[in-house]
Amino acid sequence: MQTKTNALKQGFIRCHNCGYLTKALHQLLACPRCDSHLHARRPQSLERTTALLLSSLFMYIPANIFPIMTVNQFGTGDTHTIAGGIIELIDTGMIPIGLLVFVASILVPSLKLLGIGLLLICVHFRWKINPRRWTSLYRIIAFIGRWSMLDIFMISILVDLVHFNGVQIIAGPAAIAFSAVVILTMFAAENFDPRLLWDNQPS
Amino acid sequence: MNSTSYVACPECDLLINYAQPKVGEKIHCPRCDVLLLKPSKQTIERTFALSFAGFILFFPANFLPLVSISLFGNANSDIIMSGVLALFTKTMWPVAIVVFLTSIVFPFAQISLSLLISGHLYFNQPNRYLICWMRWIHHLNEWVMLEVYMLSIIVACVKLMAISPLKFGWGLYAFVALIFITTLLISNRDNHLFWQRIEQLCKDNNHAN
Ligand SMILES: [Zn+2]
Repeated sequence: MQTKTNALKQGFIRCHNCGYLTKALHQLLACPRCDSHLHARRPQSLERTTALLLSSLFMYIPANIFPIMTVNQFGTGDTHTIAGGIIELIDTGMIPIGLLVFVASILVPSLKLLGIGLLLICVHFRWKINPRRWTSLYRIIAFIGRWSMLDIFMISILVDLVHFNGVQIIAGPAAIAFSAVVILTMFAAENFDPRLLWDNQPS
Repeated sequence: MNSTSYVACPECDLLINYAQPKVGEKIHCPRCDVLLLKPSKQTIERTFALSFAGFILFFPANFLPLVSISLFGNANSDIIMSGVLALFTKTMWPVAIVVFLTSIVFPFAQISLSLLISGHLYFNQPNRYLICWMRWIHHLNEWVMLEVYMLSIIVACVKLMAISPLKFGWGLYAFVALIFITTLLISNRDNHLFWQRIEQLCKDNNHAN
Protein backbone atom coordinates (compact mmCIF):
# COMPACT_ATOMS: atom_id res chain seq x y z
CA MET A 1 0.00 0.00 0.00
CA GLN A 2 1.24 3.44 -0.82
CA THR A 3 -0.21 6.47 0.87
CA LYS A 4 -0.24 9.74 -1.00
CA THR A 5 -0.54 12.09 1.94
CA ASN A 6 1.77 13.85 4.32
CA ALA A 7 2.41 12.17 7.63
CA LEU A 8 1.21 15.29 9.43
CA LYS A 9 -2.21 15.11 7.72
CA GLN A 10 -2.55 11.56 9.05
CA GLY A 11 -1.64 12.78 12.52
CA PHE A 12 1.92 11.50 12.60
CA ILE A 13 4.97 13.43 13.67
CA ARG A 14 8.46 12.32 12.68
CA CYS A 15 11.12 12.90 15.33
CA HIS A 16 13.75 15.17 13.78
CA ASN A 17 16.54 13.40 15.62
CA CYS A 18 15.81 9.68 15.46
CA GLY A 19 13.12 9.45 12.79
CA TYR A 20 10.62 7.71 15.07
CA LEU A 21 7.02 8.11 13.96
CA THR A 22 4.59 9.11 16.70
CA LYS A 23 0.83 9.42 16.56
CA ALA A 24 0.39 12.98 17.79
CA LEU A 25 -2.83 12.32 19.67
CA HIS A 26 -2.26 13.47 23.20
CA GLN A 27 -0.11 16.49 22.49
CA LEU A 28 3.00 14.44 23.14
CA LEU A 29 5.92 16.74 23.74
CA ALA A 30 8.85 14.34 23.73
CA CYS A 31 9.80 11.53 21.39
CA PRO A 32 9.17 8.18 23.12
CA ARG A 33 12.39 6.76 21.72
CA CYS A 34 15.00 9.51 22.08
CA ASP A 35 13.23 12.08 24.27
CA SER A 36 13.76 14.94 21.80
CA HIS A 37 11.27 17.75 21.70
CA LEU A 38 8.70 16.83 19.05
CA HIS A 39 7.59 19.21 16.34
CA ALA A 40 6.02 18.43 12.99
CA ARG A 41 7.94 21.19 11.18
CA ARG A 42 11.05 22.97 12.29
CA PRO A 43 9.85 25.65 14.73
CA GLN A 44 9.71 29.19 13.35
CA SER A 45 11.49 27.91 10.27
CA LEU A 46 10.68 30.93 8.09
CA GLU A 47 11.38 33.56 10.74
CA ARG A 48 14.71 32.05 11.77
CA THR A 49 15.87 31.43 8.22
CA THR A 50 14.97 34.99 7.25
CA ALA A 51 16.82 36.46 10.23
CA LEU A 52 19.92 34.38 9.50
CA LEU A 53 19.76 35.19 5.80
CA LEU A 54 19.52 38.93 6.45
CA SER A 55 22.44 38.88 8.86
CA SER A 56 24.59 36.96 6.39
CA LEU A 57 23.59 39.40 3.64
CA PHE A 58 24.71 42.19 5.95
CA MET A 59 28.08 40.51 6.54
CA TYR A 60 28.48 39.83 2.83
CA ILE A 61 29.27 43.50 2.19
CA PRO A 62 32.35 43.87 4.46
CA ALA A 63 33.46 40.39 3.36
CA ASN A 64 33.85 41.67 -0.18
CA ILE A 65 35.03 45.24 0.47
CA PHE A 66 37.76 44.74 3.07
CA PRO A 67 41.06 42.97 2.41
CA ILE A 68 41.03 39.27 3.25
CA MET A 69 44.80 39.09 3.51
CA THR A 70 47.93 41.21 3.35
CA VAL A 71 51.28 40.06 1.98
CA ASN A 72 54.11 41.99 3.63
CA GLN A 73 57.27 41.88 1.56
CA PHE A 74 60.27 43.72 2.98
CA GLY A 75 58.26 46.60 4.35
CA THR A 76 55.73 47.00 1.55
CA GLY A 77 52.24 45.68 2.23
CA ASP A 78 50.12 44.25 -0.56
CA THR A 79 46.45 43.83 0.38
CA HIS A 80 44.02 41.52 -1.40
CA THR A 81 40.26 41.45 -1.35
CA ILE A 82 38.52 38.16 -2.17
CA ALA A 83 38.03 39.21 -5.81
CA GLY A 84 41.54 40.70 -6.01
CA GLY A 85 43.13 37.43 -4.92
CA ILE A 86 41.27 35.55 -7.64
CA ILE A 87 42.22 38.06 -10.33
CA GLU A 88 45.85 37.76 -9.28
CA LEU A 89 45.70 33.96 -9.48
CA ILE A 90 44.31 34.15 -13.00
CA ASP A 91 46.82 36.83 -14.03
CA THR A 92 49.72 34.66 -12.93
CA GLY A 93 48.41 31.81 -15.08
CA MET A 94 46.94 29.62 -12.32
CA ILE A 95 43.59 29.52 -14.06
CA PRO A 96 42.15 26.24 -12.70
CA ILE A 97 42.95 27.21 -9.11
CA GLY A 98 41.63 30.72 -9.73
CA LEU A 99 38.36 29.28 -11.02
CA LEU A 100 38.14 26.93 -8.05
CA VAL A 101 38.54 29.81 -5.58
CA PHE A 102 36.07 31.86 -7.63
CA VAL A 103 33.47 29.10 -7.35
CA ALA A 104 34.04 28.55 -3.62
CA SER A 105 34.32 32.18 -2.51
CA ILE A 106 32.08 34.12 -4.87
CA LEU A 107 29.74 31.87 -6.84
CA VAL A 108 28.70 29.54 -4.00
CA PRO A 109 27.99 32.22 -1.34
CA SER A 110 26.05 34.48 -3.72
CA LEU A 111 24.04 31.60 -5.20
CA LYS A 112 23.35 30.41 -1.68
CA LEU A 113 22.05 33.77 -0.53
CA LEU A 114 19.92 34.00 -3.67
CA GLY A 115 18.67 30.41 -3.40
CA ILE A 116 17.66 30.62 0.26
CA GLY A 117 15.94 33.93 -0.50
CA LEU A 118 13.98 32.29 -3.33
CA LEU A 119 12.98 29.33 -1.14
CA LEU A 120 11.72 31.71 1.54
CA ILE A 121 9.73 33.79 -0.94
CA CYS A 122 8.31 30.65 -2.51
CA VAL A 123 7.02 29.33 0.82
CA HIS A 124 5.85 32.71 2.08
CA PHE A 125 3.74 33.47 -1.00
CA ARG A 126 2.61 29.86 -1.38
CA TRP A 127 3.74 29.70 -4.98
CA LYS A 128 2.44 26.75 -6.93
CA ILE A 129 5.70 25.16 -8.00
CA ASN A 130 7.17 21.79 -8.80
CA PRO A 131 8.14 20.86 -5.22
CA ARG A 132 10.46 18.10 -6.40
CA ARG A 133 12.61 20.57 -8.30
CA TRP A 134 12.62 23.03 -5.42
CA THR A 135 13.60 20.30 -2.97
CA SER A 136 16.61 19.59 -5.22
CA LEU A 137 17.47 23.28 -5.05
CA TYR A 138 17.34 23.05 -1.27
CA ARG A 139 19.58 19.96 -1.28
CA ILE A 140 22.16 21.62 -3.51
CA ILE A 141 22.22 24.67 -1.23
CA ALA A 142 22.62 22.52 1.87
CA PHE A 143 25.41 20.50 0.21
CA ILE A 144 27.58 23.26 -1.24
CA GLY A 145 27.59 25.61 1.76
CA ARG A 146 30.55 24.11 3.59
CA TRP A 147 32.86 24.34 0.55
CA SER A 148 33.01 28.13 0.93
CA MET A 149 35.25 27.59 3.95
CA LEU A 150 38.01 26.92 1.41
CA ASP A 151 39.33 30.48 1.57
CA ILE A 152 39.29 30.60 5.37
CA PHE A 153 41.25 27.36 5.75
CA MET A 154 43.66 28.50 3.07
CA ILE A 155 44.35 31.71 4.97
CA SER A 156 45.02 29.74 8.13
CA ILE A 157 47.55 27.58 6.24
CA LEU A 158 49.22 30.53 4.45
CA VAL A 159 49.47 32.67 7.59
CA ASP A 160 51.09 29.75 9.39
CA LEU A 161 53.53 28.80 6.61
CA VAL A 162 54.59 32.23 5.43
CA HIS A 163 55.98 34.05 8.44
CA PHE A 164 59.63 34.73 7.67
CA ASN A 165 61.81 37.72 8.40
CA GLY A 166 60.85 40.05 5.60
CA VAL A 167 57.95 38.09 4.12
CA GLN A 168 54.69 37.58 5.98
CA ILE A 169 51.08 36.89 5.21
CA ILE A 170 48.53 38.42 7.58
CA ALA A 171 44.78 37.79 7.66
CA GLY A 172 42.56 40.79 7.01
CA PRO A 173 39.21 41.86 8.51
CA ALA A 174 37.23 40.38 5.60
CA ALA A 175 38.20 36.93 6.88
CA ILE A 176 35.99 37.45 9.95
CA ALA A 177 33.09 38.76 7.87
CA PHE A 178 33.44 35.97 5.32
CA SER A 179 33.48 33.16 7.88
CA ALA A 180 30.41 34.77 9.43
CA VAL A 181 28.70 34.67 6.00
CA VAL A 182 29.52 30.98 5.55
CA ILE A 183 28.36 29.97 9.01
CA LEU A 184 25.20 32.10 9.01
CA THR A 185 24.12 30.73 5.60
CA MET A 186 24.79 27.18 6.80
CA PHE A 187 22.55 27.82 9.83
CA ALA A 188 19.97 29.42 7.55
CA ALA A 189 19.89 26.33 5.32
CA GLU A 190 19.68 24.09 8.39
CA ASN A 191 16.71 26.02 9.73
CA PHE A 192 14.79 25.96 6.49
CA ASP A 193 12.31 23.09 6.44
CA PRO A 194 11.93 21.65 2.89
CA ARG A 195 8.62 20.04 3.92
CA LEU A 196 7.07 23.52 3.85
CA LEU A 197 7.52 23.42 0.05
CA TRP A 198 5.29 20.33 -0.10
CA ASP A 199 2.72 21.58 2.42
CA ASN A 200 1.59 24.38 0.12
CA GLN A 201 0.94 22.16 -2.89
CA PRO A 202 -2.44 20.65 -3.70
CA SER A 203 -2.05 16.89 -3.32
CA MET B 1 -2.12 0.69 12.16
CA ASN B 2 1.31 -0.40 13.28
CA SER B 3 3.45 2.72 13.11
CA THR B 4 6.77 0.91 13.09
CA SER B 5 6.28 -0.31 9.53
CA TYR B 6 5.62 3.25 8.47
CA VAL B 7 8.17 5.92 7.92
CA ALA B 8 7.77 9.61 7.16
CA CYS B 9 10.10 11.10 4.59
CA PRO B 10 12.37 13.62 6.34
CA GLU B 11 12.34 15.98 3.37
CA CYS B 12 8.78 15.91 2.04
CA ASP B 13 6.86 14.30 4.94
CA LEU B 14 5.29 11.63 2.74
CA LEU B 15 3.92 8.78 4.84
CA ILE B 16 5.43 5.61 3.42
CA ASN B 17 4.48 2.05 4.15
CA TYR B 18 7.44 -0.16 3.44
CA ALA B 19 8.45 -3.78 3.56
CA GLN B 20 11.75 -4.34 5.38
CA PRO B 21 14.36 -4.11 2.59
CA LYS B 22 16.88 -6.91 2.09
CA VAL B 23 20.62 -6.35 2.42
CA GLY B 24 21.83 -4.36 -0.58
CA GLU B 25 18.38 -3.02 -1.40
CA LYS B 26 17.70 0.69 -1.19
CA ILE B 27 14.44 2.42 -0.40
CA HIS B 28 13.97 5.87 -1.89
CA CYS B 29 11.10 8.21 -1.21
CA PRO B 30 8.70 7.74 -4.15
CA ARG B 31 7.80 11.42 -4.10
CA CYS B 32 11.07 13.33 -3.60
CA ASP B 33 13.61 10.55 -4.22
CA VAL B 34 15.64 11.00 -1.02
CA LEU B 35 17.41 7.84 0.17
CA LEU B 36 15.52 6.48 3.18
CA LEU B 37 16.94 3.05 4.00
CA LYS B 38 20.02 1.20 2.84
CA PRO B 39 20.67 -1.86 4.97
CA SER B 40 24.04 -3.49 4.48
CA LYS B 41 25.91 -6.42 5.98
CA GLN B 42 27.64 -6.08 9.35
CA THR B 43 27.03 -2.35 9.59
CA ILE B 44 27.87 -2.19 13.29
CA GLU B 45 31.09 -4.20 12.97
CA ARG B 46 32.18 -2.11 10.02
CA THR B 47 31.37 1.19 11.72
CA PHE B 48 33.25 0.03 14.81
CA ALA B 49 36.34 -0.94 12.78
CA LEU B 50 36.29 2.28 10.74
CA SER B 51 35.86 4.51 13.81
CA PHE B 52 38.72 2.71 15.53
CA ALA B 53 41.01 3.23 12.52
CA GLY B 54 39.91 6.86 12.31
CA PHE B 55 40.59 7.38 16.00
CA ILE B 56 44.16 6.08 15.60
CA LEU B 57 44.78 8.11 12.42
CA PHE B 58 43.55 11.30 14.04
CA PHE B 59 46.77 11.67 16.03
CA PRO B 60 49.41 11.47 13.25
CA ALA B 61 47.13 13.60 11.05
CA ASN B 62 47.11 16.30 13.71
CA PHE B 63 50.58 16.12 15.20
CA LEU B 64 52.87 15.39 12.25
CA PRO B 65 53.62 18.21 9.80
CA LEU B 66 51.36 18.39 6.75
CA VAL B 67 53.49 20.64 4.54
CA SER B 68 56.77 22.46 5.05
CA ILE B 69 58.21 25.38 3.16
CA SER B 70 61.70 26.86 3.23
CA LEU B 71 62.64 30.39 2.32
CA PHE B 72 65.94 32.24 2.91
CA GLY B 73 67.30 29.17 4.62
CA ASN B 74 64.48 29.10 7.19
CA ALA B 75 61.92 26.29 7.23
CA ASN B 76 58.32 26.49 8.44
CA SER B 77 56.00 23.54 8.71
CA ASP B 78 52.26 23.49 9.15
CA ILE B 79 49.99 21.33 11.28
CA ILE B 80 46.29 22.15 11.62
CA MET B 81 46.73 23.40 15.18
CA SER B 82 49.63 25.73 14.29
CA GLY B 83 47.40 27.27 11.62
CA VAL B 84 44.80 27.90 14.30
CA LEU B 85 47.37 29.42 16.66
CA ALA B 86 48.78 31.64 13.90
CA LEU B 87 45.30 33.15 13.49
CA PHE B 88 44.74 33.50 17.23
CA THR B 89 45.59 37.20 17.41
CA LYS B 90 43.79 40.14 18.98
CA THR B 91 41.46 40.62 16.01
CA MET B 92 41.39 37.26 14.21
CA TRP B 93 40.40 34.99 17.10
CA PRO B 94 36.83 34.40 15.81
CA VAL B 95 38.28 32.94 12.60
CA ALA B 96 40.76 30.88 14.63
CA ILE B 97 37.91 29.42 16.67
CA VAL B 98 35.90 28.55 13.55
CA VAL B 99 38.90 26.75 12.02
CA PHE B 100 39.65 25.01 15.32
CA LEU B 101 36.07 23.72 15.66
CA THR B 102 35.48 22.60 12.07
CA SER B 103 38.85 20.98 11.43
CA ILE B 104 39.89 19.60 14.85
CA VAL B 105 37.15 19.53 17.51
CA PHE B 106 34.19 18.37 15.41
CA PRO B 107 36.10 15.69 13.46
CA PHE B 108 37.47 14.34 16.76
CA ALA B 109 34.03 14.43 18.37
CA GLN B 110 32.48 12.68 15.38
CA ILE B 111 35.01 9.85 15.38
CA SER B 112 34.93 9.42 19.16
CA LEU B 113 31.14 9.39 19.31
CA SER B 114 31.01 6.95 16.43
CA LEU B 115 33.52 4.71 18.24
CA LEU B 116 31.55 4.92 21.51
CA ILE B 117 28.17 4.20 19.90
CA SER B 118 29.28 1.36 17.64
CA GLY B 119 31.42 -0.09 20.46
CA HIS B 120 28.47 -0.22 22.85
CA LEU B 121 26.27 -1.78 20.18
CA TYR B 122 28.95 -4.26 19.15
CA PHE B 123 29.45 -5.50 22.72
CA ASN B 124 25.73 -5.18 23.54
CA GLN B 125 26.43 -2.79 26.38
CA PRO B 126 23.48 -0.59 27.29
CA ASN B 127 24.35 2.93 28.33
CA ARG B 128 21.97 5.73 29.22
CA TYR B 129 24.10 8.20 27.24
CA LEU B 130 23.72 6.31 23.93
CA ILE B 131 20.67 8.41 23.03
CA CYS B 132 22.54 11.66 23.72
CA TRP B 133 25.51 10.53 21.65
CA MET B 134 23.29 9.62 18.71
CA ARG B 135 21.63 13.02 18.88
CA TRP B 136 24.95 14.86 18.94
CA ILE B 137 26.50 12.91 16.09
CA HIS B 138 23.38 13.58 14.02
CA HIS B 139 24.06 17.32 14.23
CA LEU B 140 27.82 17.07 13.69
CA ASN B 141 28.03 15.68 10.14
CA GLU B 142 27.66 18.97 8.36
CA TRP B 143 30.24 20.73 10.52
CA VAL B 144 33.09 18.30 9.94
CA MET B 145 35.04 19.93 7.12
CA LEU B 146 38.15 17.81 6.63
CA GLU B 147 37.69 17.41 2.87
CA VAL B 148 37.30 21.18 2.47
CA TYR B 149 40.51 21.59 4.46
CA MET B 150 42.23 19.15 2.12
CA LEU B 151 41.21 21.24 -0.89
CA SER B 152 42.58 24.32 0.90
CA ILE B 153 45.93 22.56 1.38
CA ILE B 154 46.06 21.86 -2.35
CA VAL B 155 45.21 25.46 -3.29
CA ALA B 156 47.70 26.86 -0.76
CA CYS B 157 50.41 24.55 -2.12
CA VAL B 158 49.80 25.61 -5.71
CA LYS B 159 50.02 29.25 -4.63
CA LEU B 160 53.24 28.72 -2.69
CA MET B 161 54.93 26.51 -5.26
CA ALA B 162 55.63 29.64 -7.28
CA ILE B 163 57.62 31.10 -4.38
CA SER B 164 59.54 28.21 -2.93
CA PRO B 165 59.88 24.42 -2.94
CA LEU B 166 57.45 22.52 -0.67
CA LYS B 167 57.86 19.30 1.25
CA PHE B 168 54.93 17.06 2.14
CA GLY B 169 55.08 15.52 5.59
CA TRP B 170 53.78 12.22 6.99
CA GLY B 171 50.92 14.11 8.57
CA LEU B 172 49.50 14.75 5.12
CA TYR B 173 49.29 11.04 4.28
CA ALA B 174 47.60 10.33 7.60
CA PHE B 175 45.25 13.25 6.91
CA VAL B 176 44.25 11.88 3.50
CA ALA B 177 43.62 8.46 5.06
CA LEU B 178 41.54 10.11 7.79
CA ILE B 179 39.35 11.86 5.20
CA PHE B 180 38.89 8.57 3.39
CA ILE B 181 37.78 6.90 6.62
CA THR B 182 35.39 9.65 7.75
CA THR B 183 33.79 9.62 4.30
CA LEU B 184 33.30 5.86 4.49
CA LEU B 185 31.96 6.23 8.04
CA ILE B 186 29.26 8.69 7.01
CA SER B 187 28.18 6.67 3.99
CA ASN B 188 28.24 3.45 6.01
CA ARG B 189 26.37 4.52 9.12
CA ASP B 190 22.80 3.26 9.21
CA ASN B 191 20.92 5.56 11.61
CA HIS B 192 17.73 3.57 11.25
CA LEU B 193 19.42 0.34 12.36
CA PHE B 194 21.37 2.09 15.13
CA TRP B 195 18.25 3.61 16.63
CA GLN B 196 16.44 0.26 16.49
CA ARG B 197 19.35 -1.48 18.22
CA ILE B 198 19.57 1.24 20.88
CA GLU B 199 15.84 0.98 21.55
CA GLN B 200 16.23 -2.80 21.87
CA LEU B 201 19.19 -2.47 24.25
CA CYS B 202 17.34 0.01 26.46
CA LYS B 203 14.28 -2.25 26.62
CA ASP B 204 16.35 -5.34 27.49
CA ASN B 205 18.14 -3.35 30.13
CA ASN B 206 14.88 -2.17 31.69
CA HIS B 207 13.56 -5.74 31.78
CA ALA B 208 16.73 -6.99 33.44
CA ASN B 209 16.42 -4.44 36.24
ZN1 LIG C 1 10.24 12.39 0.28
